[in-house]
Amino acid sequence: MKTTYKLLLFAIGLTMVACSDLEEQPVGLLAPEGFFQSTKDIQTAVNGTFGHMQHEDFWGRKMSLTIMLRSDMVDIGDPTTSARRIQHNDFEVPGDNGMIPDFWRRTYQMIAAANQAIEGAALVDAPDSQKNPIVAQAYFVRAFAYFHLVRQFGDIPYLDGTVTDAAAAGSISKTSAADVYTNIIADLEFAKQWLPNKQSSRTIPAKSAAHSYLALVYLTNGEFQKAYNEAKGVIDNESTYGLGLEQDFQNLFNANTIDASVEPIFSIDFNGFRDGDSGQDYQPALTGIRSDEQYGIGGGWSVAVPSLNVFNTWDDRDYRKAVSFDATGVFEGNVEPFTNYRNFNSRAVNRPHIAKYTRFTGTTANNNGRGSQHNYSMMRYAEVLLIAAEALNEVQGGSAEALSYINRVRGRARNGSAFPANLSGLSQNDLRTAVLEERRLELAFEFKRWYDIARRRIGNQVFSATGLEGAKPGFDDNDYLMPLPPDELARNPNLLPQNPGY
Amino acid sequence: MLKKNAIKNLILSFFLIASASVFAQQKVTGKVTDGSSGGGIPQVNIQIKGSSVGTATDFDGNYTITTKSASDVLVFSYLGFKTKEITVGNKSVINVKLMEDASSLDEVVVVGYGSRKKSDVTGAVSSVKSEELNAFPVLDAAQALQGRAAGVVVQSNNGGQPGAPINIQIRGNTSIGATSSPLIVVDGFVGATFPQPNDIASMEILKDASATAIYGSRGSNGVVLVTTKKGRKGKITMEFNTNYSIQNTINELDLLDANQFATYQQTINPSYAQGPANTDWQDLLYRTGTTENHQFSFSGGTDKLNFYASTNYFKQDGVLINSAFERFTFLANVDAQVSDKLKLGMNLFGSRGAEDGVPTQSTGATANGGGDDVVSGSFRFSPDLGILDANGLNTINSVGDDIDNPFAVATEGVNETKRDDFRANLYANYDILENLTFKTTFGFSSINETEGLFRPSSLITTAGGNVGGRALIGNLRRSNIISENYLTYTTEISKGKLTLLAGYSYQKDVAERFSAGAQGFSSNSFSYRNLAGGAVQLIPTSSLVESEIQSQFGRLNYDFDDKYLFTATIRRDGASNFAANEKIAIFPSFAFGWKASNEKFLENIESISNLKFRASYGATGNQGISPFQSLASFQNIYAVANGNTVGAVTPLQSANPNLKWETSFQTNIGVDLGLFNSAVSLSLDYYNIDTEDLILSDSGQPQYFGFLRAASLRNIGEVNNEGFEVNLNTRNISKENFSWTTDFNLSLNRNKVVKLSDTENLDIFLDASPGYFNIDRTHILREGEVLGAFWGLDYQGVYQGGALPAGTALLPGGEAGDQLFSDVDGSGDISPADQQIIGDPTPDFTFGITNNFRYKNFDLNIFFQGAQGGDIMNLTAVQLFNGDSNATTEILNSWTPTNTDTNIPRAKLRGKEISSRFVEDGSYIRLKNIALGYTLPSDIVSKLKMQNVRLAVSAQNLFTITNYSGLDPEVSYFGAGGGNNSAANTTNGFDFGNYPALRAINVSVNIKF
Repeated sequence: MKTTYKLLLFAIGLTMVACSDLEEQPVGLLAPEGFFQSTKDIQTAVNGTFGHMQHEDFWGRKMSLTIMLRSDMVDIGDPTTSARRIQHNDFEVPGDNGMIPDFWRRTYQMIAAANQAIEGAALVDAPDSQKNPIVAQAYFVRAFAYFHLVRQFGDIPYLDGTVTDAAAAGSISKTSAADVYTNIIADLEFAKQWLPNKQSSRTIPAKSAAHSYLALVYLTNGEFQKAYNEAKGVIDNESTYGLGLEQDFQNLFNANTIDASVEPIFSIDFNGFRDGDSGQDYQPALTGIRSDEQYGIGGGWSVAVPSLNVFNTWDDRDYRKAVSFDATGVFEGNVEPFTNYRNFNSRAVNRPHIAKYTRFTGTTANNNGRGSQHNYSMMRYAEVLLIAAEALNEVQGGSAEALSYINRVRGRARNGSAFPANLSGLSQNDLRTAVLEERRLELAFEFKRWYDIARRRIGNQVFSATGLEGAKPGFDDNDYLMPLPPDELARNPNLLPQNPGY
Repeated sequence: MLKKNAIKNLILSFFLIASASVFAQQKVTGKVTDGSSGGGIPQVNIQIKGSSVGTATDFDGNYTITTKSASDVLVFSYLGFKTKEITVGNKSVINVKLMEDASSLDEVVVVGYGSRKKSDVTGAVSSVKSEELNAFPVLDAAQALQGRAAGVVVQSNNGGQPGAPINIQIRGNTSIGATSSPLIVVDGFVGATFPQPNDIASMEILKDASATAIYGSRGSNGVVLVTTKKGRKGKITMEFNTNYSIQNTINELDLLDANQFATYQQTINPSYAQGPANTDWQDLLYRTGTTENHQFSFSGGTDKLNFYASTNYFKQDGVLINSAFERFTFLANVDAQVSDKLKLGMNLFGSRGAEDGVPTQSTGATANGGGDDVVSGSFRFSPDLGILDANGLNTINSVGDDIDNPFAVATEGVNETKRDDFRANLYANYDILENLTFKTTFGFSSINETEGLFRPSSLITTAGGNVGGRALIGNLRRSNIISENYLTYTTEISKGKLTLLAGYSYQKDVAERFSAGAQGFSSNSFSYRNLAGGAVQLIPTSSLVESEIQSQFGRLNYDFDDKYLFTATIRRDGASNFAANEKIAIFPSFAFGWKASNEKFLENIESISNLKFRASYGATGNQGISPFQSLASFQNIYAVANGNTVGAVTPLQSANPNLKWETSFQTNIGVDLGLFNSAVSLSLDYYNIDTEDLILSDSGQPQYFGFLRAASLRNIGEVNNEGFEVNLNTRNISKENFSWTTDFNLSLNRNKVVKLSDTENLDIFLDASPGYFNIDRTHILREGEVLGAFWGLDYQGVYQGGALPAGTALLPGGEAGDQLFSDVDGSGDISPADQQIIGDPTPDFTFGITNNFRYKNFDLNIFFQGAQGGDIMNLTAVQLFNGDSNATTEILNSWTPTNTDTNIPRAKLRGKEISSRFVEDGSYIRLKNIALGYTLPSDIVSKLKMQNVRLAVSAQNLFTITNYSGLDPEVSYFGAGGGNNSAANTTNGFDFGNYPALRAINVSVNIKF
């Protein structure tokens, strides 16, 4: 009897004593080792970079709204909106502005994902001819990301690999803007060499994307001959790349028609779904009219609303104005002019609102316009034509070829009417002004204007009392760059000094 | 047939023989009663001193015993009562009154892997008895700990929400990122859920390192040991407890009515058109809630076997419409003495809880930015709108963000949680030698929780009319197995007593989760029960998380001459979630005790019945690391290409093979004093806890590294908690018909961030405001400051126009009647650079005081609880004075050019600035419970064939004394993170949109058969 008990006890006691090695065996989680097996895995890593672009921190709201508000085309609407937004609009940005750290971090996450794709590709056992056309997307994205950063911050930390040695990577110094540009151009050249002429969608970079971005990078750097050469290269390859101008300007801002359009060259794609703030597009809400019922998306927030001057100075005959603005809303079932917007919501403003992102949002998974199916064109063919015109005019003042590119854009804008008429016989100066003006209206509210102001250094003019938004006493030349996040400078003091003026 | 008769005869003849011998001796009868209540006490042990002859009283307290001679001494003993000895003499009837033993020094308290006499305990341990746990009805046993033990803070994580989780915190926040909740051990099962309060015999709260280090890497937040009731030898007892209570909110806001509101809005926006209705949303949302709780138990035993079994039903209809909680619980304990040496036992526990919730607290869990919180909805929503608009659709707010009216959210949304809990624990206890015992336990527990959520298309904010309704369902299945084996050896060495313990433990936890969702339903009747009926499927998720812990532990107790006590413990934990280079952790502790009252020089001082000094030091851990957190990994992220959601990954974090647990080094010094035969007993404890290697997201890691987890986890932080605890129990009056006892406890805790990063002066800003506030910062972690100091502008009153008072400035665009703030950076206007620390949520001290009175058959329990000092950040007020919602009638006293003598700025739309204007003193004293009970006299009870009947009425939260202007100074808003995670460590003292606290009136009946 006694031995039976003892045996029983041991049996119970020893059931679980089987020793564990305490090693973790994660199931359903991804570890970098062993992930990269095929070219498909490189694409999955590249897709990660798209995910970052579609995040609220970047194009979903924080960065896109910031560069929108810093332009002279978009002002603050709702005066109670958060201070961190108003600071950008007024050029009263403190070092610790609340918007900057989020898109700073997100842009670098995009870069890290691109670097991971590039490094991971080296692990895939396949010939370059198979791997490089995919990994070239990562090179394009890396250039795209650094191009935003260098324009926003000037000298920046530059990493072209994933971080394995935190101590070394944590003490690097800034890379000069010039060197960053050199690297951007090298990445774009690689991308241009390897990317296919066309992709299944304009939301995936093709050769045309790298080619066009090279033109814009050179233009930004004032290397006009090179800018012209690249833009001309795209124009010459119009059919190879499958490019053209969309006939109806409205279709560019219609989530249901944009996928079929030949005009976009590279787009950030939202499909109406999201995971938290990933894939979430706030533009319809930010630019929409508070309590407006006309699009059935529950009204917007009236946050980013152009000044009345933008509306009033824009010729009513320009079809693009009607596409770009909503001067009426629907409230309590009635159509009301913009002068009555505030009657229906105390946080609305009595000004026409941007319509490009609210009018045809597609099916939104969310309410209040916190979502859309828009494809945001980072580059579209009209811009390439205008880059070619601007660059060529600098090389050959008043060039007829340059005029022809502008007139192509204006021709499409007429939409069957007689306005805007073709331009002719302009001096180099007048043509320079005309191209910039054409960019301002053609690309209105498309997040391009601030970069134009900065690269042309026209802030003192456009933010003066005669500017569209009236005098902006907060503006000075230091505002062409934003402050590096002060926390980042504290984490790595080798990144000092801060940009001047902050 | 023949055989049966033979046995019958045998038994008969046995009785004849037995009775024959009885007549030769003297028979004594009598009744044993409770000296204070007068009721008979069943199961009192009666023994003839120096012999093995004994008996026990029946359920009325009556006994019969046969004595051999007149000089025999009868010993009457019963747990919790003073033992009485009476010489038989020539008496044949001996009635005895037993008095309760208040000294309680010989109580046995449960400690980890064993028990100790209370007088021999060297650590800081508080005991809470079942009477205290059941003084008034609570949903969760954890709740009953509030105010009962010094150093223990108990907080609902959402006011009076039916089924809301209860947070316990022992001796402050010892972590920033990891949990600060104690380890719960139920009948030896480590990491269990609380049983139902009526089933609990006692709870011990282990506070210092000497007591908790035996739990090693899970001990640094303290340990709560729960012992459930067991059966006792004797007649089977049946017990029926039932109570019923009605509840109301303790408070409501004095909001504007429709006319006042329209006038107010028109001062902000002259074109505001008054709506058609006059709705009091609070009236619509709040109702009289009820709870009912019924418990039936039966227990009993024989020499060889005892058992306790109970079942319980709890139901609560919350004070917010559509919120309810229902739970069944079953519990059974069986112990069998198989042989002299072997004892086997099993504990079984099972419950099913079903919660029907409404969204509160603006956590953003169900609507972006928290727009579907019905409590804040009640004061954000315009009172001049009805429930439905002219088209029969749910109204949407006419000011501020477009939110659905809170009545529609509460009544049309579905939030259901069903949770099944099961636990079984088998043990065997074998006495290998007389002084060497082996105990082995094997247990299994499982939790299965399903959460369903539905927002019909009739709600705009939370489901979006064009989305067509949204449904989500998620499931968590969590299982845990535990095997523990240990040896206990006791021996005497000269005047010393040595106890040794050595053991091995293995535990494995597995959590499996999945969730799925859809939107665009063709019918709102689907609820979340037909995801396939949604036009659009949301991204489903699933995961598996496993962790193992494998440990060796030991303890040495040496008690010399009943004067000097020494305890040492050690535990060696190996845990799978620790990083590759740091798999093993060792946690030692030491403690000394000196029973000065047993020394010669004190022995003769009558008034001092007990004096003991205690000192301990030890290291305990907090695992802090979630499984897989030290490994390099990618993260799937949401990405779109060509209109489709595509597979995408991004680097999440780099590997950290050196990530390890957090360690607390705790010193405890205490003294226990008993005076006048323990009529007064006082315990004082001082402690100092240094917690090092706190796992923090290293915000010192540059963000340009580009990892998705922007800050890598590293062992870099350090916090300190220092505190003082007082426990005072007094027997003020102890007469046969009247007794009065007082229990008082007071705790103070100071916590401080010592280190946050390798980078100097790196502040960590945190935000607890609801998402729709659009604010970055409400509180701060800064070295040298409390964990979570309030951060904002310093309010300097209303600007009256003219020159700005020195050192103050206005927000850009400010005018007369606006808020003046301190201009910290001297820039002339107010910007984020003018923000500073504006409040500290730590109370100076917290306390609880209970008075128990007993007069004849009546008993009265009065329990106050409170906190002194400690600031509250009233986020509710931020909203109320912001201009884009309803407001309290205080707004009628806003500044105007003709009403300048006021501290309330002009009515205006504002940016929800966080400022000292909304920081308030959170001190309060609350009558937590007052309960009057009546125990039926024993003669009536016995006529009814019952053992005991008690009737009671009680009231909870009857009144509160406080200057706090919000609804409840016991705030429990944790921001978007909710109260279950690390937000609870740093987010203290915030108030916004809680489920309201309750005032309850309760009647209860307890019947024992």
